Amino acid sequence: MSQVFHEIEKKIIASLRDNPKQSPESLEKSTQLSPDQIRRGIEWLKLKNLAIVTESKSSILSLGKNGVESLTKGLPERRLLDLLKTGPRKLSDLQNELGYVFGPSMGLARKNNWIEVSVDEISIKNSPSELLGEKTLKLIGNEKLSKDKIDGNDLSGLLKRPDFIIEDVIKTKEISLSDLAKSIKISDSVGGIDVEANVPEVFVARTHPLKDTIDEIREIFVTLGFSEILGNMTQSSFWNFDALFTPQDHPARELQDTFYLDRINAKKIGTPEQIRKVSESHKKNWRYQWDINEARKMVLRTHTTCVTIKHLAENKPDEARIFSLGRVFRNEKVSYKHLVEFNQIEGIVVGKDASLRNLMGIQREFYKRIGITKIKFWPTFFPYTEPSLQTMVYNEKLGKWIELFGMGIFRPEVTKPLGITQPVLAWGGGIERIAMLKYDLGDVREFYNNNLGWLRSVTKCQ
Amino acid sequence: MPVIELSYSRLQKLIGKVTKKQISDSLPFLGLDIESEDKDLVRIEYSPNRPDYSTDYGIALGMQGLLGIKTGIVKLNVKKSHNYLISVNSSVTKIRPFVTGIIAKNGKVDDKTIKQLMTMQEDLHFGIGRKRKKSSIGIHDLDKISFPLVYTTTTRNHKFIPLNSEKETTISEILVNTDVGKDYGSILGQSSQVPIILDENENTVSFPPIINAAVTTVTTKTKNLFVEVTGITKEDAEDMLAVVATILQSAGFILESIKITGAKNSSPKLEQRKMTVSISLVNQILGLSLNSSKIISSLKKSRLDAISKGVNIICTIPAYRFDIFGPLDLVEEVALGYGIQNLEPILSPSQTIGKINPVSLKLKSLDQTMIGLGFLEALNSSLTSKRVLYDMTDRDSTKIISVLDSKSREHTILRDSILPGLLENLSKNIHESYPQKIFETGTVFATENPISEKINFSGISAHKDANFTEIKSIIQSALNIGFGIKVETKTATNSTFEDGHCASIILNNIPIGIIGKIDSKIIENYKIRVPVVGFEISLSDSVLKN
Repeated sequence: MSQVFHEIEKKIIASLRDNPKQSPESLEKSTQLSPDQIRRGIEWLKLKNLAIVTESKSSILSLGKNGVESLTKGLPERRLLDLLKTGPRKLSDLQNELGYVFGPSMGLARKNNWIEVSVDEISIKNSPSELLGEKTLKLIGNEKLSKDKIDGNDLSGLLKRPDFIIEDVIKTKEISLSDLAKSIKISDSVGGIDVEANVPEVFVARTHPLKDTIDEIREIFVTLGFSEILGNMTQSSFWNFDALFTPQDHPARELQDTFYLDRINAKKIGTPEQIRKVSESHKKNWRYQWDINEARKMVLRTHTTCVTIKHLAENKPDEARIFSLGRVFRNEKVSYKHLVEFNQIEGIVVGKDASLRNLMGIQREFYKRIGITKIKFWPTFFPYTEPSLQTMVYNEKLGKWIELFGMGIFRPEVTKPLGITQPVLAWGGGIERIAMLKYDLGDVREFYNNNLGWLRSVTKCQ
Repeated sequence: MPVIELSYSRLQKLIGKVTKKQISDSLPFLGLDIESEDKDLVRIEYSPNRPDYSTDYGIALGMQGLLGIKTGIVKLNVKKSHNYLISVNSSVTKIRPFVTGIIAKNGKVDDKTIKQLMTMQEDLHFGIGRKRKKSSIGIHDLDKISFPLVYTTTTRNHKFIPLNSEKETTISEILVNTDVGKDYGSILGQSSQVPIILDENENTVSFPPIINAAVTTVTTKTKNLFVEVTGITKEDAEDMLAVVATILQSAGFILESIKITGAKNSSPKLEQRKMTVSISLVNQILGLSLNSSKIISSLKKSRLDAISKGVNIICTIPAYRFDIFGPLDLVEEVALGYGIQNLEPILSPSQTIGKINPVSLKLKSLDQTMIGLGFLEALNSSLTSKRVLYDMTDRDSTKIISVLDSKSREHTILRDSILPGLLENLSKNIHESYPQKIFETGTVFATENPISEKINFSGISAHKDANFTEIKSIIQSALNIGFGIKVETKTATNSTFEDGHCASIILNNIPIGIIGKIDSKIIENYKIRVPVVGFEISLSDSVLKN
């Protein structure tokens, strides 16, 4: 496989393959690229781990004013020794001829025991052939020279003297290719870009995550042979409670659990026969004075079961699979696990062969399709079903069993007054709870916060 | 659902040979949800239809059955006695017509028993007693009472020393000054006469359904109990009595009968009932093929008795199981005794073909179109607040539909429009990057016969270059591409929108919505710093119209 490179990168790689270690300046010359192009090219290659940049510091030496003078005239001590070559000289003569270097040169010569000083005469004792520093002076000459090319010992004497040596510290870069770059194949294609670089984030327009879960659940039940029906969110108490055998003094019907609409009552709640038979069932089984005005009170539905029971009462099918999906309401304090308004799915199966085991089988199949396989059933109680069960599903992350859908078979006290003769399996539950598991959310309110940060970033569930 | 606290070690003593694990594994299969556990203590939630599970005595009876330690019906042994008589004065008929009761002797009353009896009493009052309205209970120290008693009425000036008090108080004072008086006084209405139970010496025993007299208080020194239940119907009172009698017998008391006469009252029978269920119904409903002996043994595990008679099972039901209305309830008892964990789910092939509702299909199609146009879907509650719906957007609030006694201030009014919620959403997102384009479809409500529910569709776009042209293009494309519907705009004014940048959306000469640039004052209210344009149309009057 060959890789596509930018023209700049190609040239730099080619040059480095010829000459493995180069400074940027050297690359400029060999590639004919501008300093800025070289800088960018090196940067790209570095990010791809193709170029290695080693930075080093080095000192460049040149001669100062006194150094230059010593280069032409000789070091002060050399000048002294030259004057003494021909024989002993008077102190005052030397002073006149050497000028201001007389002092320093005398000091060095005495210290090194090169000369002998009598009352007013100075003569050579032993003369060295080469003086410390003379090599360096010649080596640097009038040029600039890297410090590491000079003998340190020879240099040290000069460095101590004022204005002999000028030292400049400079940083240098050296570019070389990584092992990867040495072997990588370079594509011939022209105009390639850096496809691995970071790009700005764009936001996808999408349906709401909760809606995605609702749609998924809807489709599962359709494929299981269920048809969707719709119904109103505002319902008379008759269909929300009375038709479902919930007595009028039942705690669930109190203001503190159910939302009643302020001063709004239904005029027509059902057929006279439905009303008569439902009220008789209540009077007989719950032993109280059933009040039609109580049944007229409009509520925000507390479950979608009112929609399915109304459908059954109107259509009386012998065989049916139906579901209803939508918002339901509870007068609760909003918290991380409770909403006043949430979505519920509720389904029924009508048929002479409908049994509790069928009902359990439909649940198991549904959970399997949303990816939940560890389930069990526990008995429970609902006013309108008998027997009644609830599904418990195991959540691996939380390490515990969570209650999901409730289910049961509609009581004859519910179905008989409405003229429904076949057994009716019913099940239902909240959708947010499932969506919370799917999106790994700890706070159910997030679904209705419409926080764009979350909506734009949350991963879709498969 | 009521919650009670139990002790495993106490339950073990009551049930018999059983481990703690067996108990905790089996509780859910009695229909009892474990709320929490802490070493020996366990908090469980029980269903209101089983008031016998309001004490550990009752739960032990159920558990013995389920585990096969003791099965079959729990018989009440009530010793006939002529020592205890309550006569009823007809003056109670219009207020609280019925009284019933029982004597329970030679029991051990320790702190734990008192605690269990107290919770039972409270739960019975709240549940089947319907907050003491239907029936209420009083448990007394028998030895402090001189029979015969009379259940009659008295005036609100009647005085006695009530429970938890040391001084004589009038009925009126009790109703005004005590918590129970305040909570339940309304049951008695405005009548000048109130019910009272007096003993032979005219001492007050109880002021039902409010409070007992202090003198009969049950303590750890109490040996013998007198239980009275008053109620609106004889059945209500006797149902409650049946639960209490069963629990007291299980707690080791010996029951003795009370004779009750007068004003249509009679002595309680606490009789068992018989009910028939066909073997075929059991098997049809459960999806099993059990034979009669398996059904009978399952019913016995549910603490009922049963015999087989031809194709039927005849079941005997104790008085405290008044939650059993008909044969289907017996089917559930079979299922519980058989063990829900033993029911294997089956999936029979569907005979029907599933179908998505056409409305859902159209809404889904609209969602897809809006996504294509670059809009993100939002979801808001239909129950919202006056602030969001009207105050912030300056809309007309004369026709609001509100709910009663909402526990949440943000959820009090049903929405009649979706757009205000979307503006509220934008205001919560001013720190997120722009452009921000969101839409929502959902139900809106209006008062009409009594309530009409329609589906609306709203979208808004907020960014520095947002303008009328952009949003008009959006709604026209969405409706045309999605549904082949062509709409026009016609100049309009609306308090939410800026004058000169607002129009009605017209379909076949009928207005179906509104579109325009949101008024700068509203944008300011919401502290949004970019222009916002938006629309809202009725889908029920356009796309979803037949």
